[in-house]
Amino acid sequence: MKIIYLLKKEFLEIFRQRELLFMMIIAPIFQLIILGYIVTTDINNIPVGIIDLSTGKSTSRIINRITGSDLFDVKYIAEVNRDTVKELKKGDVKAIILFRNPVKTGKAIPRYPEIQILMDGVDSNSSRIAAGYFNGILRNFILDDLEILGISPAVKGKPLIRFNPELRSINYMGPGIVALLLTTITLFITSISLVREKEQQTIDTLLISRLRPYEIYIGKSLPMGIVGIIDMGIGVLVAVVWFDIPVRGSLLILLISSIIYLTAILSYGMLISIFSTSQQQALFFSWFSLITFILLSGLFTPVENIPAGLKWLVSINPLSYLIRIIREIFLKGNGIEQFYGDLLSLGLITLVISSISIFNFKKFISK
Amino acid sequence: MKGIKPVTRKEILHIFRDPKSLIIIFIMPVMMVFIYGYAISFDLNNINIGVLDYSGDEISKKFIGKFLNNSYFTRIGIESGEQESIKTYEKKLKRGDIDEILIIPFGFSKMIKGGIPVEVGFVIDGSDSNSANIIYQYNEMIIFDFLEEYQNIRDIFNVNTKIYFNPELKSTYFFIPGLIAVLLLMISALLTSLSISREKESGSIDLIFISPIKSYEIIIGKTIAYIFVAFTVESIILFFSRFWFGIPIKGNLLVLFGFSLIYIFTGLALGILISIAATDQKTSMLATLLVTMLPSIMLSGFIFPLSSLSQVLRWISNIIPATYFLKIIRGVVLKGASVSDFLVDGLILILMGVVLIFVAVRKFSKMRKTT
Repeated sequence: MKIIYLLKKEFLEIFRQRELLFMMIIAPIFQLIILGYIVTTDINNIPVGIIDLSTGKSTSRIINRITGSDLFDVKYIAEVNRDTVKELKKGDVKAIILFRNPVKTGKAIPRYPEIQILMDGVDSNSSRIAAGYFNGILRNFILDDLEILGISPAVKGKPLIRFNPELRSINYMGPGIVALLLTTITLFITSISLVREKEQQTIDTLLISRLRPYEIYIGKSLPMGIVGIIDMGIGVLVAVVWFDIPVRGSLLILLISSIIYLTAILSYGMLISIFSTSQQQALFFSWFSLITFILLSGLFTPVENIPAGLKWLVSINPLSYLIRIIREIFLKGNGIEQFYGDLLSLGLITLVISSISIFNFKKFISK
Repeated sequence: MKGIKPVTRKEILHIFRDPKSLIIIFIMPVMMVFIYGYAISFDLNNINIGVLDYSGDEISKKFIGKFLNNSYFTRIGIESGEQESIKTYEKKLKRGDIDEILIIPFGFSKMIKGGIPVEVGFVIDGSDSNSANIIYQYNEMIIFDFLEEYQNIRDIFNVNTKIYFNPELKSTYFFIPGLIAVLLLMISALLTSLSISREKESGSIDLIFISPIKSYEIIIGKTIAYIFVAFTVESIILFFSRFWFGIPIKGNLLVLFGFSLIYIFTGLALGILISIAATDQKTSMLATLLVTMLPSIMLSGFIFPLSSLSQVLRWISNIIPATYFLKIIRGVVLKGASVSDFLVDGLILILMGVVLIFVAVRKFSKMRKTT
């Protein structure tokens, strides 16, 4: 029961510092909200320039469609040629659309302009999407014109979108961001918990106290675990109330998965703390790990394309499992029977990390 | 100005005394370059598609062929329409084994031959809205392709696309130079963020306070020490991006390093300001992370294009140093831009750095007086 005193001391240390408390509880909410709005943004408003050197009537109809759509933000419509490469270099427009009179007329309907798209390919993803948007506008234009001539398209696509019918990216990203913020805060604070006592030499006082090793271990890691669960709760609340993200699955399973995950992160933080000799070292170690966890978790960028040689890095990354589980629960409303494999793997990783961590802690104590 | 040199020397000694941290600082960028170079890509090439063909004849097969003879889609299975199969596919969609179901209705060919428009069903997994959007676009494209052939409306338009700076649309071109911007800011800020708060925690700050060295000398001296660390990080990433990933450096390297110097200075100034404001290392570290990590990854244009953001978020992005440097480094490295293209951005960065260091010095001397 002596552990209560250590827990009390650790909590006191957290609550004593207002700014620390602010950063652990309030700042994540702000970040979640801001990040939520960023990832909600689908690519639109692509800045483009239009140069119209053609004389046909259809050009202005196409231009109207471009200016009328939210997808493009037309910066200028010029009727004389400009230094296009220089403009792309400066980066004020991402693409320049050039209309010219056709050299040879097309088959079915004449008088269409010849189109050249000059594109800045640096942001490969956006460029590809922008080209897709533009082609879509052109396709619809042609189909509408054909319709007027009495030729209706033989086949039409009728899409039906499952799980996220409005295609809101926040539904996909939001829950994952909660996991990310949770990791950031708990990992860093735990990773310096022991080092700090080492640096200030108060660790000896702790070691010669009548606390058993496991009590010290729990006393040091549990407070951040509790803060983490609180953060998770607040995060889920913000996701549901502010962003209106539906929770289709069981919150209880989410809680259980989060606790398992937190155990892994806290043990990992303790491990860093045991091996580091200064707070700076602990900081850089956990920073390094955090970034690697995030990149290989599939949160911002898909991990499906990762080459086989690096896949194992994803499969030992606890964050990747938590994010998958969270998405299953939030979006698809899948029951545990759909993702028990992920949960088991997460449990296994947690078991391995905490065993290594506790083993090293014992070794550290006995020294 | 005499006081700057000894402070810098002391700080450099401090850096080298802790080789473990130094190694992480240098290994980190290498690791990230490799992850971004090989592992991270938005390219969506393997859309798993399940096909339900209720029509099952020449024309429907031709239509399906358009989907499958195409690098985007990978067929998972074609089942001719039994009642059970739609359920199996829906289940697969829920588990994430397939991304899309294509349903060709009964009487597809008859209707086409009779001149009656047919609707083809697509069931798309929308959980990742970005992918779903791309899948939708591919579908439309392929249908149009089929129409062009079937209704003989080819060559109406002559569109030719020319892509500059990254003609093969490789995502490494986009990510790796951007990575320099994100990492440099984080590393610079993290490095200095502990420099004052550490002295506060250990009490050695009092020794500095009573020394004859002026406040600005201490701040500037500490800042200078870390510049070379940040430059090494930048050179490492540039080296790998040039010689391992073959990303050409089109602009002038000196111009790039000149801008980098300004940017690094801004980052270091930010870190030192946080360090002065915070009471201990824990707080300054967490604050630095909150201020640098997510904003410079998410709000700078590193992953998400700024032009799509709402007005408020764009304002916020204007106060993030990485926003400006990202533009500069992509411009110089990939597009061969020169100093004159980025005069304003460079000036804003200088202004940010100067303001930050000014506030830091003032805050520091105030603290010195009150203790």
